[in-house]
Amino acid sequence: MSTTLRFSDVRRRFGRLAVLNGVSGAVEPGGMLLVTGPNGSGKSTLLRCLSGLLAPDSGTIEYREDDGRLDVAERRRRVGVVAPDLAFYEELTVRENVEFFARLRRTSSQRGFAVLERLGLPLDRLAGALSSGMRQRLRWAWALLHSPRLLLLDEPFQNFDRAGEDGARMLLAEHLENGGLAVVASPSPLDFDHVSEHLELGV
Amino acid sequence: MKTFLAWLLWLWMCLVIVGAFFYAPVVLQGFRTPGSSRIVFFHVPMAWSSFIGFIAAAVWSILYLVRRNPRHDRAAAVAIKIGLLFGILATVTGAMWARIEWGAWWNWDPRQTSILAVILFYGAYLALRQSVEEPEKRARLAAAYALLGLVVTPFLFWVVPRITFSLHPDPVVNRSGKVDMDAANTQVLFGSGFGFAALFFWVQNLQCRLEALAERRAALKE
Amino acid sequence: MSRNTSSWASEAAAVFAKEWRCEFRTRYALNTLALFAFTTLVVVSFSLGPMGVARSQGTAVLPVLLWIILLFSVAAGLPRAFVQEEETHTATALRLAATPSALFCGKLLYGLTLVLALEALVTPAYLIMTSLEVTSPWLLAGVLAAGGYGLAAGSTLVAAMIAQARSKGALFSVLSFPVLLPLLVLTVELTRGAASGDPAGVSLPVLLLYDASVTVAGLMLFPVVWNP
Repeated sequence: MSTTLRFSDVRRRFGRLAVLNGVSGAVEPGGMLLVTGPNGSGKSTLLRCLSGLLAPDSGTIEYREDDGRLDVAERRRRVGVVAPDLAFYEELTVRENVEFFARLRRTSSQRGFAVLERLGLPLDRLAGALSSGMRQRLRWAWALLHSPRLLLLDEPFQNFDRAGEDGARMLLAEHLENGGLAVVASPSPLDFDHVSEHLELGV
Repeated sequence: MKTFLAWLLWLWMCLVIVGAFFYAPVVLQGFRTPGSSRIVFFHVPMAWSSFIGFIAAAVWSILYLVRRNPRHDRAAAVAIKIGLLFGILATVTGAMWARIEWGAWWNWDPRQTSILAVILFYGAYLALRQSVEEPEKRARLAAAYALLGLVVTPFLFWVVPRITFSLHPDPVVNRSGKVDMDAANTQVLFGSGFGFAALFFWVQNLQCRLEALAERRAALKE
Repeated sequence: MSRNTSSWASEAAAVFAKEWRCEFRTRYALNTLALFAFTTLVVVSFSLGPMGVARSQGTAVLPVLLWIILLFSVAAGLPRAFVQEEETHTATALRLAATPSALFCGKLLYGLTLVLALEALVTPAYLIMTSLEVTSPWLLAGVLAAGGYGLAAGSTLVAAMIAQARSKGALFSVLSFPVLLPLLVLTVELTRGAASGDPAGVSLPVLLLYDASVTVAGLMLFPVVWNP
């Protein structure tokens, strides 16, 4: 299972503000790229470019699965994303949200429910009635729903209590041990065992 | 070279004006005030140039979506703006002609309605551009709308002839002259058409360069 | 690891089902559409007066008013399908998970069912309140179906465009009107024909061609509009 992510000289500006100024990096199977930097240094922007939600002004992003290069549209659907601005349907229950996205991703909801059981989240509560920590658990379940090989995590432990954070760390460790890739953005370097590369933005 | 071409265009248009007033015979059947028929040499090519703007914008929009080069997006927007200008001119000259011929500025005949619908579309396109700040998103959405417009507007040419009420049983005003025109009139008309088309692309080119410079200046100011 | 337990059609169906499930729990679009339609209906009927419109002028004027009511009701209630996704930020999850064409079809079908429900509610009420006699009810039904589809298709695509812009409400009307104008002229003429008993002529095939064109344009342009 050879999955790789490579990006070079990625640039992105918003109006006059150059947020990303030629950023490069690479991740190999089982590897984790940790992206740090102060607020506004472009961490979220980089992750959004990597996930395909944002088009960079210039530079290349290459994502390969099993030696086949995926274009942006395919990459978008293949990655697993946790981000603070990820929201779900408030009028639907947790279960209904998971089932809906499972049908969209053409997969079963088993994995999603399994993750939710590990992290602890009642399935029949309305998504609108969740606390912020519980929303974060739902985000993790959503990200892992289709068993992606690449995880793009923007502030992945935000709002988590101790139990939630421990559970999520274990999920991330398992993902990497199974040969998955991860890019994690965090304002401060967290203690991680598996960091293979460290990218500091805003310096 | 560009200056030479510009002077050539100027000369051509002078010839067109002279031809329209002195060379082309006045005889156009079916008109109550034959002298006013000379307006056809200007009014019709203006309308043609307006449609050229539509098609040019669509072509540049496709180019933008394929290549994502901002220059194509700018070209498309400029084409629409100039097409709008020509469209307004065509509408106004058409209304003037209608007033002289039929006594009414506006009578909803198919051509008047069509050009009005095209103008509305141009206005909507420009409104859309105004409402999106991020350049990449603006270009993308505008290009999509331009192409949607190109798909939908031809239906007007099928649809509009059907809405002529029985108020004006006479044949359509604007399309006259095509069948009954003799050689001299045809020459002047198509000569003028060519001239106005060249005028469109010349102004388009100028405006594109102007906007590019304005953008560079704004970027340097930061 | 991820099995293909569903297909493209299943994706579109999932979007459709989700839209209606959310709609039933909030009833926002249905309420907006119904309220707007009935208010306009009452105003029209009231303005025409107790004697209504003279028979001879009825077929000229009344079909137009019906379609104006439908057009503005749709403009009031339909764009929300996309605007709300952007405003509640659920669009991010959708962009990452859904196939654009399936998403578009799901939303389009939802819009279509909304429009058909609106027509089913408004048209009988309108016919009664204005005493408009319809000689060919089947033709009217056909026009409502085909015209309703065109309204839904055009509106869904334009809604997707304006959802990412500012001043969405006003912009939707400005953008959708030139696109829907040919449709409206066709449907008004056909409705007039249905009322007076004239044959449809070439208008009905042209209407269906419009529907097909907008659908194809939507399927091709939506991915461009939706994703960067």
